[in-house]
Amino acid sequence: MLRAVVTYGSTGPEVFLSAEGEEGYSSYKYEDCSIIPEGKDPQESIESLEECDPGPSPIMPEAKELYWGAGAFIVFALLMRFFLYPRLRKSMDARYESIRSSHAEADQARAEARGEVATYEAALAEVKAEAAARIDAARATLESERSVQITEVNGRIAARREAAAAASVSAHQAARGEIGTAVASVASRTVELATGTSPDPVAVSRVVDEIMSSGVSS
Amino acid sequence: MLALEFPPINEILRWQDVFPSFNKIAIIAVAAALVGTVIFLIAGNADGSKAPRGIRNFAEAIVEFIEGQIIMPTMGRDGLGWTPFMLSMFSFIYLCNVPGIIPIIQMPATARMAIPLFLSLLVWVVFIGVGFKHQGLGYLKSSLFPPGVPAALYILVTPIEFISTFLVRPFSLTVRLFANMLAGHILLVTFALLTEELVQGGNIALIPVGILPFFMLVFLTAFEVLVAFLQAYIFTILAAVYIGGAAHPEH
Repeated sequence: MLRAVVTYGSTGPEVFLSAEGEEGYSSYKYEDCSIIPEGKDPQESIESLEECDPGPSPIMPEAKELYWGAGAFIVFALLMRFFLYPRLRKSMDARYESIRSSHAEADQARAEARGEVATYEAALAEVKAEAAARIDAARATLESERSVQITEVNGRIAARREAAAAASVSAHQAARGEIGTAVASVASRTVELATGTSPDPVAVSRVVDEIMSSGVSS
Repeated sequence: MLALEFPPINEILRWQDVFPSFNKIAIIAVAAALVGTVIFLIAGNADGSKAPRGIRNFAEAIVEFIEGQIIMPTMGRDGLGWTPFMLSMFSFIYLCNVPGIIPIIQMPATARMAIPLFLSLLVWVVFIGVGFKHQGLGYLKSSLFPPGVPAALYILVTPIEFISTFLVRPFSLTVRLFANMLAGHILLVTFALLTEELVQGGNIALIPVGILPFFMLVFLTAFEVLVAFLQAYIFTILAAVYIGGAAHPEH
């Protein structure tokens, strides 16, 4: 029986046929080949390896590849169906569900936060309105108190002004009296020095008063 | 004269079995299921009550993408029960596509016919089963005799609907995914070989030219990231459309 040995040399795959105690292939006959080429005598020696062992058909499926491939796929598909995919899918679904529930919680928290913000804004508006009312009331109170106090202060100022005016008038009259007295004294002395007689004080005082009155009036 | 020897397609798809009946495609398929399981296991163990980070964030983004961009537009809210199926289908296809650009691995498991074929047949069985479950035998009527079509046209429409719904759908689902990923893989191999040939071909003058296919290789690798996602998305959304259409033909 011929045995095919495939080796990989620098020129690519090489096939040699060998059997125990023999070397090369020149001693083999076409009857040793798996397929006897057309027109060849089975007893004739082979000419080349290719015509004796053409290699696998590029088109026809080989049984060993078919059942190894089929077996590998069937085992893989069964593992995938009953073990691999369910585990992966289960944990994916669990994570998706967790994400979905987290989203729902986030939505709920957002709605609650919005509600709280609305409540806060309403309370804030109420407080602002109350504060504005209080400010207005305080302002009105302050205004009325201010008016009262201004009236009171104006009254006091007017009274003081009248008192000051009266004091000024009396001081003015007192000063005028003193000046009149002093002027009469000076005039009496002057007349006495000029004439050697002392004038009548009443007449001097009357004349001085007349002059001062005319001077003030002029 | 530069002579680039490009290996046959079956050559670039030939892998040594790790042990009998277990090759590189089988390793990638099993690794895709394991990586998907570990991602969703770690995501499921993380604390789900906090904002998702790292792997959990990544897993939740995929779940929401499946629900929001695939199931809701095609099946509506009633289709959310299909999320584990669509999620495992999208994740498995994407994780089978991505090794096409991972260094050392560099082979999308969906660039071989077996896995796209199995997934397409599974979708085919599921959407037909859903159709009969929701509508009973009326599913055949709603599928083969679409309402609003003049009776005389059923001679043409019914065979076309039968072929497109029950035969072409699994075929197109399979070929779309398989062919796109295989084409991307072949493109990457092509530009990788061209770069290698130009740089290591022994002609010093051609070494600077080798940078062009290298940049193209880098660009296509980045493009394959998008293709890996896009093909997983297209396959899954079409599966959702077929299942949703079978459950609710009025849509």
